[in-house]
Amino acid sequence: MHDLKVSAPPAASTGRLRRFWFALAAIVPLLVLWYVLTAVTHTISLGRFPSPEDVFNAARQISRGKGYAGGTMTAQVWQSSKLVLMGFAVAVGTGAPLGLLMGWSRRAEALLNPAFLLVRPIPPLAWIPLAILWFGLGDGAKIFVIWFAAFVPALINSYTGVRNIDPTLVAAARVHGASRLQLVTQVLIPGSMPMIFTGLRLSMQASWTTLVAAELVGAIFGLGHVLIVASLDIYPGMILYAMVWVGIMGALMTKALALLERRAIPWRG
Amino acid sequence: MFTNVKRTFRRRDQEVLALDDVSFEVGEKEFVAIVGPSGCGKTTLLRMAAGLDFPTSGSVRVGDREVSGPGPDRAVVFQQFALFPWKTVEENIGFGLRCRGMDADARSRIVASYVELMGLQGYERAYPQQLSGGMQQRVAIARSYALDPDVLLMDEPFGALDAQTRVVMQEELIKLCRVNPRTALFITHSVEEAVYLADRVVVLTRRPGRIREILDIASVRRREGWDTHDRIEEVMDLESFVHLRTRIWRLLRERQEDAAPAGIAVKSA
Repeated sequence: MHDLKVSAPPAASTGRLRRFWFALAAIVPLLVLWYVLTAVTHTISLGRFPSPEDVFNAARQISRGKGYAGGTMTAQVWQSSKLVLMGFAVAVGTGAPLGLLMGWSRRAEALLNPAFLLVRPIPPLAWIPLAILWFGLGDGAKIFVIWFAAFVPALINSYTGVRNIDPTLVAAARVHGASRLQLVTQVLIPGSMPMIFTGLRLSMQASWTTLVAAELVGAIFGLGHVLIVASLDIYPGMILYAMVWVGIMGALMTKALALLERRAIPWRG
Repeated sequence: MFTNVKRTFRRRDQEVLALDDVSFEVGEKEFVAIVGPSGCGKTTLLRMAAGLDFPTSGSVRVGDREVSGPGPDRAVVFQQFALFPWKTVEENIGFGLRCRGMDADARSRIVASYVELMGLQGYERAYPQQLSGGMQQRVAIARSYALDPDVLLMDEPFGALDAQTRVVMQEELIKLCRVNPRTALFITHSVEEAVYLADRVVVLTRRPGRIREILDIASVRRREGWDTHDRIEEVMDLESFVHLRTRIWRLLRERQEDAAPAGIAVKSA
């Protein structure tokens, strides 16, 4: 009657392997179709969409010598990733604590919420012209815009996280002698951790979206800059190659967050 | 402990009297159970003793001090266990001790003794959600007991358990109280549970909650030798037990019938 409820061990390895084959079965035909339509039958004109060979050539060009649009792909990817991480860190570092504070204290909420509601409806991208005016085309402008975009989900989700904590748990902490500080460190923060991570994931996505947009509009370096230069050069192979890198970096960072989440929330099976 | 306690709530501009002129005392190391129909304010009484709620008039004292807020001298066991999902069994049991600032060595000794006492060996590092309801409530009881509180407050602690688990827990609680007697206030809607566990039973009326009667169980228990029986069903079969149970049922029912016409006139539930 009192034994451990062991969660049924699903055949995880075989399930995962099967999913892998399914994924492959979906992707390989698409790649073949792409090759056939562009390089063999020329159904899609190469001026509109590159063939695999075009992409390969673009990759070769940008990885050698002076690269393309101001640098090699490694340098461009590094530039964009660096800005995303910095903007993300600033946004999360300010948004999550503020959200926790607003969730915890009615007074803080009454003070900060009106300002937040006022700024929130402005799409983050609308801040780009102002950012360029203030910070020029350098890194500061991008970090500023990412901050605006990624701040909102970080704040809202950590706020919701605190609000969703079972009040009985707060009562339980108090009747067992928790001080205010202990209430915050032992109950509020761990209790809102799952929602905080939801916020981090959304913030990460927002960071990439905003960065690429900001680099498209005004940058001298970075993945967004590669995209816009390639567009002006009518260079579809390079456009696609840069897009692939945006995808790869976004996926890698989201994956890193998921790993971090599993370590931070060990109680969630 | 409770003197002339009155508590009203505001509900849509209307004063609702929840508790009216409730006075009773819980003696040193005495186990008092409160029974009453749902909505009679018995949980409110317990929350007042815990310092989570306050009387509109009258006073609630523990020892010679007026209750002004929650404190570890009055630990609460909640119906929904209220264990911290992010803490292991060990960490949950040691929570109050940690809040008190006890060092890790002393803490782990006390925790280990309660793990053994409550039969939780082998689950020290499990998270609450991996345990059955009965096990979770053992952890919650251990968490409160470990603090060595002046008063142990229990709010329908077995209300969320299935019938068999409930019986086992009742037997274990009575054993625990024999080994380790505590001043205890126990809320329940189960008449059997109250009679089986308590030294005295306070019977409350339907809203507004008033004291209908206070029955002395301890003298009957001693006289009739209930404690010579290990199993709850043997005690429940004794004539003296049945007699007390029937008497409490009558007390509860009398008032219910008095109140019935008014209840129907307002709204049939």
